[in-house]
Amino acid sequence: MNAVQQPATTTFDPLRHRVDFPLLARRIHGKPLVYFDNANTAQKPQSVIAAVDRYYREYNANVARAVHTLGEEATSAYEAARDKLAKFINAASRDEIVLTSGTTQAINTVAYSFALPRLKPGDEILVTTMEHHANIVPWQLVCERTGAKLKVAPITPAGELIVERFIELLTPSVKLAAVVHVSNVLGTVNPVRELARVCRARGIPLLVDGSQAAPHLPIDVQALGCDFYTLTGHKLFGPTGTGMLWARREWLESMPPFFGGGEMIRTVSFEKTTFADPPHKFEAGTPNIAGFIGLGAALDYVETIGRERIAAYERGLLGYATVALKSVPGLRVFGEAKDKAAVISFLIDGIHAHDLATLLDQEGVAVRSGHHCAHPLMQFFGVPATARASLAFYNTRDEIDRFVEAIARVRKLLG
Amino acid sequence: MTAAALYTQIVLEHQRAPRNFGVLEAHSHAADGTNPLCGDALRIELVCCEGRIERMHFHGEACAIAVATASMLSELAVGKSLADVARMETAFARLVDGSVAHDALLAHLNAMQALSRYPTRRKCALLAFATLRAALAGTASATTEGNG
Repeated sequence: MNAVQQPATTTFDPLRHRVDFPLLARRIHGKPLVYFDNANTAQKPQSVIAAVDRYYREYNANVARAVHTLGEEATSAYEAARDKLAKFINAASRDEIVLTSGTTQAINTVAYSFALPRLKPGDEILVTTMEHHANIVPWQLVCERTGAKLKVAPITPAGELIVERFIELLTPSVKLAAVVHVSNVLGTVNPVRELARVCRARGIPLLVDGSQAAPHLPIDVQALGCDFYTLTGHKLFGPTGTGMLWARREWLESMPPFFGGGEMIRTVSFEKTTFADPPHKFEAGTPNIAGFIGLGAALDYVETIGRERIAAYERGLLGYATVALKSVPGLRVFGEAKDKAAVISFLIDGIHAHDLATLLDQEGVAVRSGHHCAHPLMQFFGVPATARASLAFYNTRDEIDRFVEAIARVRKLLG
Repeated sequence: MTAAALYTQIVLEHQRAPRNFGVLEAHSHAADGTNPLCGDALRIELVCCEGRIERMHFHGEACAIAVATASMLSELAVGKSLADVARMETAFARLVDGSVAHDALLAHLNAMQALSRYPTRRKCALLAFATLRAALAGTASATTEGNG
């Protein structure tokens, strides 16, 4: 008899979950696939694929307008995704969830409906060096139109935000701050709660880009205390073309829509149109119904596993991968934040990231190479590109071993 | 390592020991080429006489495919005119997109035919051609974006 029985929840067996992802069984160039490009897009579990398939087979109809049975079923399944998202991030109300095509559309909605009407010449928007282009370019566009300026809070060589500098830069001219929750390149987890607290004390709204945080960490927007939170569905094991903007209700009510059309109106005449209440005011046109039904299934799937358990498992995996990679001669890791998600950017002396990625693909290993939509961050590190391995809960230590062995073979070939 | 048909011995050999790599002080033509999608940068310097390339040097930081292509091209370009280079570039574009399997005009560059199976890497090889064309045309810079 065993003296101690471990409760089932303390052990995390990735292989149990891995079988839920049909694509992971593929072989690439005759080798078992090692999919380490999860920060680019994650694979989809069978339940997501089945949910999308079932919608098209059994109840395809438009939402929020058809009174027939199919329309009711479609609307109910589509709107359930909003409820699930609200629960996923602990929003105070489902009406604070605007369904978007992804984070890019979510940030653009804030740029055009929130920032553009408010900004004046001389105003400033504060971002950080580690932002994705999606959290840089929309602000530059509204700055150009308003005469406002973009200001950048610096990071340390380890890839951590210099919080004191961020706070110093929160001058009265700053009308909005926008910060990534988890860096897609460095894996750095920013101290968003602390940043939100200082922003709030100064009356500066804070937007948090949660694209890379959502697949890795539990998220509670009320505890974080930010004003806007965005995420993208396809990195969260859901379909592409899905995402979310969460905003405090008072902001959503004060923001004019910037996309007009069907679905977002209350009454329309040629003299005057009145808009629907938030969130529908920001959701013009027929949405990605199948996509959001799939995203709902993805959220159910993640919740079944449990985000605390995912985060704990990935911490172990990241530690294992970091040690393994550092054993490779000439390998440099970019981003060594104390609080870090399972994303590792790296370069190997004398090997270009693209050559490495192409040759690793020959070994069945999928990693990303390039600038990761973060040119300013590449400039900060003085490199044109990096290779990046980004992990998910379905990845295993065995895959990391195969990845490191494949790197050794590439080094031999190109060395 | 198996199946890495792109990284053949000849490609790796040109990458490890690129020909005509370095600065050509007394050049008559030069251009800087960049591939903004991956950050690769090559500078090509030429000595031309009576419309023909007498020497081609290159340097910069780029992936193995870009370096090997530039290295092979630096040997092949000697004695060629602008029209010859244009013909070679057309032939090379057809080689790497898989339209042809081989072209005698391209000599060692035929090793890049494997790029027909790596569409995302084609621009790496086209950088050297785009930069050479810019240098010959008297344009100071070239990019793989917008040049097809």
